[in-house]
Amino acid sequence: MRSRRPVVASLAVLGYVVMIVPLVFIVITAFTSGSTLRFPPEGWSLRWFSEALAYKPFMTSLVSSLQLAVLSAVFALLLGVPVALAIHRGRLPGRSLLEGLFLSPLIVPELVVGLALYQQFMIGLNLDNLSTLLIGHTVLMFPYAVRVTGASLALMDPAVEDAARGLGASPLRTFFTVTLPLLRPGLFSAGLLSFITSFNNVPLSLLLQSRDFRTLPVTMLDYVQQNYTPIVASTSVLILAGTVVIAIIAERTVGFAKIFGGINT
Amino acid sequence: MRGRRLAWLLVPGLVLLLAGFLIPSVIMIFAPPETAAAEVFARLGQMLTDPYDLAIIGRTLGLGLIVTIACVVLGFPTAYLLARSNSRWSGVLLAIAIFPLLLSSVVRTFGWLVVLGSQGALAQALVALGVVSEAPQLLYTPLAIVLGLLQLFLPLAIVACYSALAQVDASLDDAARGLGAGRARTFWTIVVPLSWPGVVVAATLVFAGSVTAYTTPYLLGGSRQRMLSTQLYTYSSTTIDWAAASSIAMVMTVLVFAVSAISSLIGRKARVE
Repeated sequence: MRSRRPVVASLAVLGYVVMIVPLVFIVITAFTSGSTLRFPPEGWSLRWFSEALAYKPFMTSLVSSLQLAVLSAVFALLLGVPVALAIHRGRLPGRSLLEGLFLSPLIVPELVVGLALYQQFMIGLNLDNLSTLLIGHTVLMFPYAVRVTGASLALMDPAVEDAARGLGASPLRTFFTVTLPLLRPGLFSAGLLSFITSFNNVPLSLLLQSRDFRTLPVTMLDYVQQNYTPIVASTSVLILAGTVVIAIIAERTVGFAKIFGGINT
Repeated sequence: MRGRRLAWLLVPGLVLLLAGFLIPSVIMIFAPPETAAAEVFARLGQMLTDPYDLAIIGRTLGLGLIVTIACVVLGFPTAYLLARSNSRWSGVLLAIAIFPLLLSSVVRTFGWLVVLGSQGALAQALVALGVVSEAPQLLYTPLAIVLGLLQLFLPLAIVACYSALAQVDASLDDAARGLGAGRARTFWTIVVPLSWPGVVVAATLVFAGSVTAYTTPYLLGGSRQRMLSTQLYTYSSTTIDWAAASSIAMVMTVLVFAVSAISSLIGRKARVE
């Protein structure tokens, strides 16, 4: 393959180098025994991993990030599934317009949304930052919930639901015993995608932070700006490991490329 | 289960969208706290004539354009090889290309601090090889931002191109080759035109992402290479200049909307032809 298409192959290799090499250097640096990001490391140790796990600001904000990601993913599904149902099963006028409206948070820059929520909710209404963050993250995850569960609904044969109704099941019973079970892979994909997106978010979490509640990426960003120690490298490796676990879970269930790339392999 | 009665299911979502997104965004642009709409537009006018502000807008657009071109130039060939290869490694390579999409942008960008820092791998290597006598300034340069954004958005470009390429029947390539076209000619006359919509999607996503990204310009550009995003954060958290922050928000939003509109126009035209 490589020898027959030299130009195409070298561009692809260059692409992989840009994507992967910085990560390799993070991993190497995380195991240094020195106290700077100097390369090559002065020696090897696990010292920065124990420092990372003992560093309160990182661990507290990790818990905050996880809480926020789980809650906003759940809220996005609770609000998004009914919308997907209405769009795909209701005979509504202006269906594509509606769909566009519900996907619109994807287009507006996140910093702009964050600034708007900061001004209107935290300053204007004096709302605490956790509630504002929850609203913001739910808004941001909402399009994923609508689109991914909507795609599952579109693939599902509506005749199955009609059959349940014809056999005398109420609409609610049809939803819970027929639609919802068939929708499970879509719900799982949307939930995982939302969780990851919320956990990694910077723009919203940055603008809506407070001293009591900030997320891990924001805390790390702040730390990097003031210190130059390998503790961020070891924390990054821990996040990397956690992300690999999520990727494996995704692959074992619905399919990794399908959830995160929208690719059917 | 079907019919117009389902419309009420839209209500909770609509409330969230209006109260938590659309209304606050509109108020922010036209009436930020303690600021009249006229002040925002006055500040916007100033921004579009002031050399310092224009330099920031120009840098954001310029770097965004470079990153977009680089992402397509590297991403399309990668996607092409992945989509056309029968090797059992292609699945693994595709997974490696998608994986960064799941990984925190802070983690990904931090890698460049390790590589490009004055004590980092690249600077030390250049010194050791005798290319330069002392560690060069690589961080806080436009090059650092371009590398960081390229790493950030390349997976997105690969995925968008791959999806388009996977829909193009590979036997068309074989047909062209069988009729005597060379590899290069097949690539440019069959593969590229048929997967063009994917390239447009990739370019749009990358450009919109690049001109609004915060983490990468913040860590790799710092205060020396200001971009619209870092400037917006400074105005809204350090100097608390709401008129200026809203003006930047407006410029950013218009930019992203314009690019989306242009790309859907190109996409539609491609379909008609």
